[in-house]
Amino acid sequence: MAGKKNKNPHDKHHLSRRTLREWMYGYIFIAPWIVGVCIFFIYAMVQSLRFSFSKIVFVNGITFQPLNYLWENYASVFVNEVNFPTTLGSFTMGLVLQLPIIIAFSLIIALLLNGNIKFRSGFRMIFFLPVIIATGPVMNQLTAQGVASVPMMSAASLANLLGMLPDFLANALTELFNSLILILWNSGIQILIFLSGLQKVSRVMYEAAKIDGASGWESFWKITLPNVRSIILLNAVYTVVTLATGGTNAIIDLIYNATYTATKGYSYGMAMSWIYTAIIAVILLIVFLLFKEKSDRHVKYEQKRVTLR
Amino acid sequence: MAISGIKVNPTKFNKNQIPLYLYLVPLAVVMGAPIIYIIGHAFKPMDELYAFPPKFFVSHPSLINFQNLAQTAAGSSVPISRYIFNSLVVTVAVVVLSILISTMAGFALSKMNFKMKNTIMEINNVALMFVATAVVIPRYLTISFTGILDTWFAHILPLIAMPVCLFLIKQFMDGIPNSLIEAAQLEGAGSFTIYRKIILPMVKPAIATGAILAFQAVWNNVETSNLFTSTESIRTLAFYMNTLSGVGTVQGQGMAAAAALIMFLPNLLLFIIMQSNVMNTMAHSGLK
Repeated sequence: MAGKKNKNPHDKHHLSRRTLREWMYGYIFIAPWIVGVCIFFIYAMVQSLRFSFSKIVFVNGITFQPLNYLWENYASVFVNEVNFPTTLGSFTMGLVLQLPIIIAFSLIIALLLNGNIKFRSGFRMIFFLPVIIATGPVMNQLTAQGVASVPMMSAASLANLLGMLPDFLANALTELFNSLILILWNSGIQILIFLSGLQKVSRVMYEAAKIDGASGWESFWKITLPNVRSIILLNAVYTVVTLATGGTNAIIDLIYNATYTATKGYSYGMAMSWIYTAIIAVILLIVFLLFKEKSDRHVKYEQKRVTLR
Repeated sequence: MAISGIKVNPTKFNKNQIPLYLYLVPLAVVMGAPIIYIIGHAFKPMDELYAFPPKFFVSHPSLINFQNLAQTAAGSSVPISRYIFNSLVVTVAVVVLSILISTMAGFALSKMNFKMKNTIMEINNVALMFVATAVVIPRYLTISFTGILDTWFAHILPLIAMPVCLFLIKQFMDGIPNSLIEAAQLEGAGSFTIYRKIILPMVKPAIATGAILAFQAVWNNVETSNLFTSTESIRTLAFYMNTLSGVGTVQGQGMAAAAALIMFLPNLLLFIIMQSNVMNTMAHSGLK
């Protein structure tokens, strides 16, 4: 079953009993998931795509009315929704700024927590707390009370400093500082994932590097970083997704409001969310290309050897 | 910093660790502050709740918010225990089922070989980034079509498939060496045995994380009650708390704080139970 994946690449058309058996087990294990996804996701998604290309009126159930032309909803989003492009722009800008901060911050914290320090378990617990704060009613309470932003004064002095920068960048940066604490709270899961990745890195390698005279700094760049590369990708994807679909997102609000406004209507909101999804997909693709694991033979070999030890 | 990760068992405190604490302690304060705040906030009497600038600590703690909450709850047509019961049933069902489905699917996607495997993973990734608002009405149609409107299933079924959960768990499983599974196969273990005896214990951290995420998603969910149910007695605690605090009176603010604390406590509890699992298993899971 496992590990035999690439052994018979030429046998694709000649299915042995064994392969069929293997496939069968695969399908058995994935069947519940497929059923759920087909009913609650694929069907829903196809419907929403269909809705975005038609006009819906909610009278005695749902009736469809033909559009003037195929892309009418999509075109009207760009014509009517003045805020949509600007919000999208500032969201993307914010994402580009926040992503490296979250990744770097959570990696640093994970490195610190991975060490053998006193009260380690206490510290670990505190740093994972954001996982349970970041969603739900608690977060709403906190943002409503303004706890999540830095005090007014430092924000003002910061604005002076940023005066010399171009407008869009300055805005994005102030936004960033305003939500800095929010960012830290959003990195709980990322810390967790990094930590588990760091613990998989074999200590033998560090010891060997130390014997060879590598400093801590060097072994971070040469051992730790290459080893957690795939985890950086995982975290980057996770971060983009949570930021993009999370509750504090301005675009989601925009879509939500448009969807439930009588003049704009449901299909209009559908069109907006499809545009948004396409943009997130592009961002994810870029992230993926950036952090994709290079075929670094040396590291692979090291890992394999240590694993089989 | 990095070198600190390799120091094997410094049994007692030593001077080199001081810089570490200089980083960790302030950050820990920032991270821990909201918990303290949310607890204090619930006990603030009226004048402190509306104080400007808002106070961090409560100076004259009182139970007035909880009393208001209890009073309003006593006046409602459906007893509060009913909402709690609904929430418990729905939450347990969703957490257990979603973990079961995600681990099974993750095992298949990560360690098995079959047709359409990559397509399925792609579909999951699309699901991951799709805006939930966009599928609300199609979902409503699905649910009314299958005839589960106004039942517990309407709360449970839409939430069971958690793309994030599957994604995390599958990534963890990719880290399990194939040689381990091959060894088990040589010993004559079937797929289900491998799943139960090897895969599940090894991805415990991912399962714990997934369980926390799933719990969050369902425990705080107001939408399913709002959209898929119309009978009051089938709705969940989160919905009830939301309606209470949304009354818009002067007491509303205080009741909202109290309700937030009540809704938050199970989260904290689960987290404390799970956290040792999340953090410690990976270290000695036989991966080295």
